[in-house]
Amino acid sequence: MFLKRAAAFLGLAVAVAAKSSTGDSVLVVLEPSLDRANYSTFFQGLTNKGYDLTFRSPKEASPTIIEDDVAQFSHVVIFAPDSKNLGQDITPQSLVSLLSKGTNLLLALSPKRQTIVNSLAAEFSLILPPPGTPLISHFPERDTPATVVPVSPSSLHPALSANLPPVWFSGVPFAYSPNPLLVPLLNAPAESFAADTTSDAGADAVFESSDKGGEGLWAGSQLSLVAGYQTTSGARATFVGGVELFSDEFAQKEVAIGKKSGNAQFVSDVAAWTFQESLVLRIDEVKHHRVNETEPGETYTINNNVVFTIHVSKFNPTKGAWEPYSGIQDMQLEFTMLDPHIRTALPPVPGSPGEYSVTFRAPDRHGVFKFVVDYKRNGWSHLQSTTVVPIVPPRHDEYPRFLSAAWPYYIGAISTSIGFVLFSALWLAGDDRDAKKKSTKTE
Amino acid sequence: MGLATLCLFSLAAVGQVLAGQLTVQSPRLSVIGKDASIVRSEPISLAAVNKAAPVHLDSTETLKLAFTVVAKDKDPNVESKNVQPHQTFVRFYEKLSGEEGVVPVRVTQNGKAKFELNLARPPAALPPTPLVQNKTNPLSVSLLLGSYSHSPFKLELFDLYLPPSQPAPEHPDEKTFHPQPEIQHTFRPAEKLPNRVISGVGALLVAGGPWILLLGLLSHITISLPYATSISILPFTLSLAAFEGLLVWYWADLKLGEVLAYGAILGLITAVTGKTALSKRGAWRVQGAQRK
Repeated sequence: MFLKRAAAFLGLAVAVAAKSSTGDSVLVVLEPSLDRANYSTFFQGLTNKGYDLTFRSPKEASPTIIEDDVAQFSHVVIFAPDSKNLGQDITPQSLVSLLSKGTNLLLALSPKRQTIVNSLAAEFSLILPPPGTPLISHFPERDTPATVVPVSPSSLHPALSANLPPVWFSGVPFAYSPNPLLVPLLNAPAESFAADTTSDAGADAVFESSDKGGEGLWAGSQLSLVAGYQTTSGARATFVGGVELFSDEFAQKEVAIGKKSGNAQFVSDVAAWTFQESLVLRIDEVKHHRVNETEPGETYTINNNVVFTIHVSKFNPTKGAWEPYSGIQDMQLEFTMLDPHIRTALPPVPGSPGEYSVTFRAPDRHGVFKFVVDYKRNGWSHLQSTTVVPIVPPRHDEYPRFLSAAWPYYIGAISTSIGFVLFSALWLAGDDRDAKKKSTKTE
Repeated sequence: MGLATLCLFSLAAVGQVLAGQLTVQSPRLSVIGKDASIVRSEPISLAAVNKAAPVHLDSTETLKLAFTVVAKDKDPNVESKNVQPHQTFVRFYEKLSGEEGVVPVRVTQNGKAKFELNLARPPAALPPTPLVQNKTNPLSVSLLLGSYSHSPFKLELFDLYLPPSQPAPEHPDEKTFHPQPEIQHTFRPAEKLPNRVISGVGALLVAGGPWILLLGLLSHITISLPYATSISILPFTLSLAAFEGLLVWYWADLKLGEVLAYGAILGLITAVTGKTALSKRGAWRVQGAQRK
C-alpha cells in the first residue's frame, strides 16, 4: 500500500506537463453503474498531464456541455454505454455542434444497446454491427472469456508509442467506409469477428449472418476497435468500441507471464491524439514578395519571379508550447485562379526551422490569383492558408525597350532630329543671296 | 509477437479447460474447369513446409475445398471426433494493399465442410484484385477454426491468383490527402526578333541613304556661312540642338513630368535666344536689301 502511494507520488513528481493545445478543461460524463475508482489509472493519468477533470453523471442537469451556444469545456469524454438517455444537453446535434466549435470528443460505444453515441457513429462513416454482437476471438488460446481479446497495436502508427505490448479489449468492432478523415487507431485481430452466440451451437447462426438475408458478418482485420476522426474544423472525435479498454483491471492484466498489458500507455496515447496534444500543426506566418525585395507587393506583374514563404509550428505536448517544425517533406503550394495554374513543392529551408519557401515565375495570365496551401494528411491536423494577390499586365513603361528590330526607326528619328538642327544652323548662319540675285536681275 | 508469447505461456502455465485441439482431416483442394473437367485435385498438407503451389483461377473455373473438422484429444489413445466448430472461416488477405475478406464455411453437425469459390457468383467479401503494374497481386488464403470448447486452429492454405477486378472504391477526397501531381505553366514563348544583321542593314539604309544623297548634292553648291559663330545666332542654334538632345534623353530615360520641367526651362531660354537671333537675321536681311 505504501509502495503504491510512493509510486504514485513519484509518478506525479516526474510527470511531464503534457498539455493540450486547445485547453485543459475536460468534462467526463460517467454513468452511475461505472465506478470512477475502476478507471483511476486513466483519469489519474489525465490529471497528471495537467487536465482539469469535471465528473458528471448523464442524468445530472449541470454542468452542461454547451450553454447559450458557447462550448463550456475544451474536451468531453462520454463513458455511458448502458444509458439510453444522456441528459437534455447531450444530443447528436449538440455533439456535432461542439465539434464545429473546436471541442474534442472521446466517446465509448455500447456493445449491448443502441445509444446516442452508437447512432452518432454512423454519421462518421462507421458501420456498427447490430446491438448485442460484441467482438469475440477464439485466437489466441487463453484463459479469459472469448469477448476479452488481446490486440497488438500497430507499431508504425504516428500517434501511438512504438513497441506497445498487446492491449486488452472488450466491446464492439466496427467497419468503416473509406474516408480519409478517419484515423483508425486500433484494428481488430485478423481472426476475430462479432457474434452474439456464446456456444458452438451458434455455428449455423454465424454462417447465416453472412448470407443474403443475414445482417452481415463483421470479421477480420479491416474492422476497427478505436477510430479517430479529424474534422475539418480542427476538432477530433474518437470512437472506442468499449469502455473496459480504459479500466484499471485491463491495465493491470498480464498479456504474458510478467508482462503487463499496454492498456495504460495506449489509452494515454489515444487521449493525447484526441485532445490535440500530438500530431497538431499550425501556420504561424505567410509571406510573399518579389525576388529581390522584402515587402509584399500590392500587385505582381506577369512573369515576375515571386518568393512564397510559410512558417509552420508543431505542438510539443511535453513542453506545452508550439515549436517550429521542418519535418514536412511533401507540402505543396498551388497558385490558383479558379483552377490551379501552378502546383509546386514547398520544401523546408535548411538552416531555418519551421520555414518552407519556394520561388516561382508568375504565369503570364493576368487576373486575381490565390496562394493556396492545403496540407492534409491522415492523422494530422490540417494546414490551410489562402492569400489573394492580383497579377496585372505590365505597365506602359515595363515592356522591353531598345529592341534590335527597331534600330531603323531609332536611326530614322535621330537622323530627322540631326537634319532639323543642321538645317536650322545652316539657315541661321547662311548668307543673304536673295538680295544679291535680285540686284543682278535688276541690272 | 506478443500474441505468440501469450499462446506459449498460457498453454504452459494455465490449466486448459478446452477439451481438445481442433484440426482438419483429409483436406482436399480441387479446381474444376468450365465443363466439369478436373484441372487440379490434390490433398492439402498440414505441414507448413509442404504448402500447396499457388492456384491460378480464371473466370470459368471453380475452386473447391473440402475437409472434415475433428477435435483431437490430448490423450493419443482417445479417438478424435467430428465436431461443428463455432467459427470456420476462409480468410483472403492481400498483403500489399491490406485488403482482406472473410468468408464463413458451412460445417455440418458431422464436421463435414465444403467451400466453393465460383467467380461467376463471387462472395461479397472477396477482396478486389486490381491490376498493379500489369499484374494482379496474390491473395493468401488461410483457414481459421475457432470454438468455445476446443483449442483453435489456423492453417495457411495457398496463394490464389484471381483475374483482374475493379479497384476498391476510394473516397473522392482521398487524392487530396496525398501529394498531387505538379502543374507547370506553359509560358508564351518570348517574341522572336528578326536577325540583328537585317536590322542593322535596315538602319544603315534609313540613315545612310538620304544623308548620302543630301551631302552629295550639297557638295555641288558652295556654302558660305558667314554668321555661323555670330554671338547673336550661336546660342539659338545651340538651344535648338539642346531641345533635340532633351527629346533623345526623354526617349532614353526621363519621365513626362521631368521632361516637361526641363522643357519649360529650355523653352524660356530658346525663346530669349530665338528672339535675338531671328530679329538679328531680319535686320541683316533688310540691311542686305538696303545695300543692294
